[in-house]
Order: sequence, then C-alpha cells, then structure tokens
Amino acid sequence: MRVYVVDNGGQWTHREWRVLKYLGVDAKIVPNDSPISDLKEVDGLVLSGGAPRVGIDPEKMGKNGDYIDGFEGPILGICAGHQFMASHLGGVAAPAKVPEFGKSILKVHQPDVLFEGLPDRFEVWESHNDEVTVLPPGFASLASSPNCNVQAMRHQDRPLFGLQFHPEVEHTQFGSDIFRNFLKVCENST
Amino acid sequence: MSFDPKAFIAEQTEAIRKTVTGKAIIACSGGVDSTAAAVLASRALSDRLLAVYVDTGLMRKDETKDVERTLDELHVNHRILRAANEFFAALKGITDPEKKRMIIGGKFIWLFEREAETFGADHLVQGTIAPDWIESGGQLRDRIKTHHNVAGLPPDMKLKLVEPLRDLYKDEVRAVARTLGVRVAERQPFPGPGLAVRVIGEVTPDRVDLVREASAIVEHEIEAAGKAKQVPVPWQYFAVLLPVQTVGVHGDLRVYGHTIAVRAVDSIDGMTAVYSKIPHDVLDRIATRITNEVAGINRVVFDISSKPPATIEWE
Repeated sequence: MRVYVVDNGGQWTHREWRVLKYLGVDAKIVPNDSPISDLKEVDGLVLSGGAPRVGIDPEKMGKNGDYIDGFEGPILGICAGHQFMASHLGGVAAPAKVPEFGKSILKVHQPDVLFEGLPDRFEVWESHNDEVTVLPPGFASLASSPNCNVQAMRHQDRPLFGLQFHPEVEHTQFGSDIFRNFLKVCENST
Repeated sequence: MSFDPKAFIAEQTEAIRKTVTGKAIIACSGGVDSTAAAVLASRALSDRLLAVYVDTGLMRKDETKDVERTLDELHVNHRILRAANEFFAALKGITDPEKKRMIIGGKFIWLFEREAETFGADHLVQGTIAPDWIESGGQLRDRIKTHHNVAGLPPDMKLKLVEPLRDLYKDEVRAVARTLGVRVAERQPFPGPGLAVRVIGEVTPDRVDLVREASAIVEHEIEAAGKAKQVPVPWQYFAVLLPVQTVGVHGDLRVYGHTIAVRAVDSIDGMTAVYSKIPHDVLDRIATRITNEVAGINRVVFDISSKPPATIEWE
C-alpha cells in the first residue's frame, strides 16, 4: 500500500510519515506544490498540518485543492489540511474562539470507520489557532472537544476525512489505530 | 512493523562508505545522537574519520571528561578542543535566545572547518535527527528554534554534509545506539548550544556555573528517586536559571537572590511532551539542596507546562 503525505509545513508532517511507515505502508512526504500527475498509483493521501494560518491562507496550500478535486482515493486532512478541505469545498475555516494547544478530550458522537474499535471519549493532542466553523455541504461532523465543535468530519459519499486534532503524535491516544482505520478505507477503495 | 536498528546500521554504514571516499570529521557532543553517528561513521571509515568535541564552557558538570572516556572506549579517532573563552567572549551582552543559538552555531562551524582543513576532510558528518531540521523550519515550515547543526550552517560551506540519522527520532536513535554498544544510549537529551539556552538572559561564566551546579543536583536527585522506584526517570530533567531576583531570608538576613526553574518532562520523540509528575518529597529535596548548596539561589520553581504550547527547553 502506498500513501503520500502532502507537506503543508507542519511540525508533525514527518511524524505522519513515521506512523504510516510503522504500519507497514510505503509512505513518502511530497511538497504541496507537486503536480497531481505525481500521485499515480497512490492509494491514499494525508494532507498535513501547517504553519499558523496556513489553513485559511490558500496561497500557502499549493495544489491541495487539485488533490481534493482530482485525487480519486481516500484523503485524510489533518489540522490545516482539514481546515483547507472544509473551506475548499464550501465550508468555512476561521480563527478559533478558543485556540487549543496540548491535551484535550475528544468526544465521538457519530460512529465512523475512522473511529472503529475505539472508545467514544479519549485524550487527543491539539495545536491550532483556526478551526472549521461551518461544515462544507455533504459533510457530517463526527467528533468534538469542549472548545471545538468540528474535531472530525467526513464526506457522506466520497472518502474524504478531516481531523482537527493530531493522531500522529505520541501523546494522542489511539492515534495509530485511527491511521490503521484510514488505511482500511484505502485498501477497500483500490 | 517497527524500526529495525540492525538493518538501519547496515544500510547507513554502506551509504557513508559510498558517499565519503576521502576523509570526514564528525561534530561530536558526546550525546546519544552524535555518538551514535560517530560510531556508524567510524565503522564505515575507521581512521579516515576524526571526531571533534568542543568544550564550549557550556557543558554539564564533568561532561568533557565523560565524553573523552566514551570516545576512547568506542575506539573512535577523536580530538578535544577547549574553547570556553572564545564562546563566552562571543556571547557577552547577548540575551536574545535566537542570537545565542546563531553565535554558538557560528563558532562551532568555524572550529569544525578549521579542524577539517588540518585533517584533510571534505565531509562533515553530523548527528542531526528529525526534530532538529523540523524545528529549524524552512520554506512553509515555521522556525520554532534554530538548531545550529541545521540553520546555523553558512550557505557557502565547503564541507559536504552527511547526516545518517536525519529521519530518526530520539527513541529510534537510542535503539541504534544500543545496538552499536554505545554506553550513553539512554542518556537524556542535551541541547547543542548547551547551558547557554538554560541561562535566560546574558550568558556569563558565573551564571553558567550556577545553572551547572543546580542541574547536577536535579539530575542526581531525580536519578536517585528513579533508582528507588519512587518515580520513573523522565525523558529529560534539568535546571534553568531565570533572570529574576527575589527576596529571601537567610539566617535573619535579607537576601536578594536568583531563581532556578526545575523542568522535567516525559516524551518519546521530543515532538510532544508532558511535564513529569515528580513526587513532592523529591521536589522538596531538590529545592532544599539547591537553595542550600548553590550560593546565590534562594528560590526554586517547578515548570508544569507541556509541549505544545511550551517547548521542552526554555529557549
């Protein structure tokens, strides 16, 4: 299985690569201005987080929009990748009323393949100034934290997923299970 | 699947052998990363490698002696440079943490280039690991702090870089170090700029002495508590000298002394960290000893922030 991590300049982009590698995936980090033609024979994409405000500053998001529009396999947007996915598809990402840094509690309120086999409350790690304030059409919110309503979202038909928290860091509980669940989606869609 | 240190060592030794056909020097601080890189490179190059350790005057208590012993034991060809006066002179009056890092980085690379020329090396091996280049930033990535082995290198550097550990995090480097028989495999991380980033404000020999003595007490007490199974030994634990003076009373006399912050965190890879829940009686022993044994310190505080939003080191 081959999954590319699109690098939007996050501190934890390389961690995403590491988690995928540990799950036995042929993983590679690619710059976010790579042409979509470079993504042939790729089973899934992770859109990484980025430097502050990158999620709502489309200039810095390179060709993420092309990938969301044109890549046929599953896509998992994380933090800035999640925020950009929302705004690109007609939702809104804006400065968070209460930015979250460090530990928070995730509450899963809609079961989904991404959270399969996991409890409905667990500890997750956050680092964001912006958040998704309005879901894009066709998306459902899956989970929230005390200070952020859209911690996870997915498209009803296409395999598009967004996470505000960071499943790739060591201190998030069940982080690699979430990646494993995403990989199952990648496996089933090829 | 997880990380396979044996395969990694074989792969990287071969890669270094292919890349470096002449001689190389390695910048070695005696920490886990650079010592593991030194042993890897030494396996590939044997006496075509020279490990250079710089005593900057910013090292921990007895560190230089210890590093010398490590390199002797590992049979790595090495040189010890003593340059404390140069480093302190360059840091005089500097309080900005990024300036400190750049100045120290500049001194290091100047010394390494000089040693490389004498030794006839055209490659510089470094024990750079993933968080170093991630946090140093570049292009889209924000700079959190300058790691001098990455962002402190001059753009016109003639030496070619070899960084075998670039894609690894500390836990993986420890696995490599263990496999290579490196004694310091479990040693706690220590920043490249040394105690300079643990002295908030100006870096002078006297202030470095204060933080060095306080750090030795923190290390000793936490390791003792670890041995007594009172607390798991944290990922990193040290003292920071704050630029804050406060009032105290010593034997009925008013004093106006310095403040030490104790930092202890648990982490796996340095990219996220939580503060360690050190038992109060251990903190108590640390505070009592520091305020009694380190002249000039009359107050000790404990840092309870995580990364993010804080970083592990204060600068």
